[in-house]
Amino acid sequence: MSSSSTNVPPASSASPAGAAGSAQGTASLVFVEMPKMGISVSEGTILEWRKGVGDAIEADETLADVTTDKVDVEIPCPASGVVARLLVEPGESVDVGTVIAEIAPPGTAATAAEPDISDSPPAEEPDRSTFVSPVVARMADKHDIDVKAVTGTGVGGRVRKKDVLAFLESKKTNGNGGALGPALHSDSPYEPDVAGVADEPDVAEVAPPVTGAEREPMSPMRSAIARHMVESRHTAAHCTTIVEVDMARVAARRAELKPAMARRDVSLTYLSFVAKATVAALAEYPVLNSSVEGEELVHHDDINLGIAVALDDGLIVPVIAQAQRLSVEGLAAAIADLAGRARSKQLTPDEVQGGTFTITNPGQFGAVLATPIINQPQVGILDLEAIVKRPVVITAEDGSDSIAIRPMTYLCMSWDHRALDGADAARFLGAVKRALEAGGEL
Amino acid sequence: MSELTYLEAISDGLRTEMRRDETVFCMGQDIGTFGGAFKVTDGFVEEFGAERMLDAPLAENAIIGTAVGAAVEGLRPVCEMQFADFISCGFDQLVNVAAKLHYRQGLAVPMVVRLPSGGGFSGGPFHSQNPEAWFLQSPGLKVVAPATADDAKGLLTAAIRDPNPVCFLEHKGLYRYVKGEVPQGEYEVEIGKARIAREGEEMTVIAYGSAVHLALDAAAELDESIEIVDLRSLCPLDTEAVLASVRKTGKVLVAHEATQSCGVGAEVVALIAAEAFEDLDAPVRRLTAPDVPIPFSPPLEQAVLPQLEQMKEACRELLEY
Repeated sequence: MSSSSTNVPPASSASPAGAAGSAQGTASLVFVEMPKMGISVSEGTILEWRKGVGDAIEADETLADVTTDKVDVEIPCPASGVVARLLVEPGESVDVGTVIAEIAPPGTAATAAEPDISDSPPAEEPDRSTFVSPVVARMADKHDIDVKAVTGTGVGGRVRKKDVLAFLESKKTNGNGGALGPALHSDSPYEPDVAGVADEPDVAEVAPPVTGAEREPMSPMRSAIARHMVESRHTAAHCTTIVEVDMARVAARRAELKPAMARRDVSLTYLSFVAKATVAALAEYPVLNSSVEGEELVHHDDINLGIAVALDDGLIVPVIAQAQRLSVEGLAAAIADLAGRARSKQLTPDEVQGGTFTITNPGQFGAVLATPIINQPQVGILDLEAIVKRPVVITAEDGSDSIAIRPMTYLCMSWDHRALDGADAARFLGAVKRALEAGGEL
Repeated sequence: MSELTYLEAISDGLRTEMRRDETVFCMGQDIGTFGGAFKVTDGFVEEFGAERMLDAPLAENAIIGTAVGAAVEGLRPVCEMQFADFISCGFDQLVNVAAKLHYRQGLAVPMVVRLPSGGGFSGGPFHSQNPEAWFLQSPGLKVVAPATADDAKGLLTAAIRDPNPVCFLEHKGLYRYVKGEVPQGEYEVEIGKARIAREGEEMTVIAYGSAVHLALDAAAELDESIEIVDLRSLCPLDTEAVLASVRKTGKVLVAHEATQSCGVGAEVVALIAAEAFEDLDAPVRRLTAPDVPIPFSPPLEQAVLPQLEQMKEACRELLEY
């Protein structure tokens, strides 16, 4: 899959191996934890172990690929040694800080890491939480239950038949699928409207059988996008306002600055100008640089501008922090840097968070109008569409009209009617339009 | 109804059938004037006469062989082995003749062999065995093993009326230990039907004979929702009752006093594995005597026969699983 990926130093801690009193407890294990991958990332999913139990591994060699709903991360091994135990199955999600692997000192046999049962106190009950008995497997299959969502009360945390029965009972009394609960990502910036989701008609039941279809599971990024987009639709009162902008002055200014930028190896795009004009307008109309939290509007001091970047199999929105401090050249450099690293999977998780307003730019593919979905918890998203030459009516200073050929574009902004009204949106877009049409000021 | 001991219930059933049907007669060592080693037929010779209460010599092969002939000729003999252990001496007539006449010649062999079985009284290796599994390997025989006074009478009646040779295992330890209300007069319990001795949800103990009482005591002391299935009939086995309880609880302990290997428990476990695999929530366990003869020494015999504490521990393990 091609989503953003990066190296994150794993949290690790060393502690003595083996049970207390073990005669041979000299070896020291290094515990590899699920690393903290950003402020709001609370869990990660192991995609793949690069090493198996018993394999030798060098410090900083990649031990595992981990995905969050934001980015993919390679976890480097914190110490050289031998993989003693892998504690998490691929596909399993665990909280940040959970021990996911144990590394024994170099040259140790993998089994040496196991506590010496013969002369240690009675061994702890082995973890049986993942064992599924035949009847539990059958019931889970019949009722379409994820056994991992059921709390096991049997020996070693095993899920018993009675646990499944209790789970089914609670599901019945709660009305909606209890299985939804634990599957939610806790770093989601908004709580999903579970009742609303449950009220949706069951599409699977009414859809006619499709022949010749091929099914593939959604990638973690695809399903995160799906979830976020639907939740945004359920959360915000979407409206879209569109202005038409004459980009002639921007084109002239761009031509003027381009050679100097090219020497810095940065391609100066129209998007950089739109970003600059947007940042200026956001400073003028701070309601667009806010979030809705319950009954409150949160006005953000900084303008952290999200720039949507299309990837082969999805979309990622890296954020330019404190965009108000940057010139158009600075914005151009920042956009080029983030977009490049997004495509080469080099973004850090913190670089895809904390946005206060988003610009999306699918116009590069020729589309002229769109009604984008707001990136929650923001209240607006500006869509820059294709810039095309059109005949337009120009009014000269003396009041005479003429027809001219101008590079024109539509700026389409979706905004949240909970936070602002149509007049606010129009005023804001008017400010962006004026700044762009003035061109030279940018 | 009247309250009878297990032993009295056997006597009552036998007496009732002998009164009802003149073709029913008894054969065995010391069953006449002496009234039987355990006094099951005490007073019978006075009521039915020596012709119907035949004192036999120490020759089990002769007892069984005579019974086979009488049965084929239309009588209904009830043979008493003084101890179940001694059936080995009459084995050939039982497994090679009685069990196969129907298949060889289409002849009914309506006879009963009463087999006082079981240990717990320092009887040692020749007077304490539970040989029921031997008969399960001999198609043509029916095998019953009542646990209650009620079933002792009802199953003996059914055994006497059955056209096939029936091995009737009466546990000596239950003779005077178990008491219960028993219907008066003619009373029959259908062979091939198990009985739910205790209703429960969490696990099932499948048992017969003395192990039923061990399970009942354990369930009462543990105070858990344990279901107890009393098989009563070992051949034919009530597979429906066994599977219904397994499907209900998903956890099974099979218990009997007989030794483990190739025992009744093994057959029940195999049935469950084949027919109820998808209903299992725990490994199926057995509580039986180990594969050794019963020792004379009381402490050693206690160590060999399943005890209440072991039954409770086996139940606890499954409940916690």
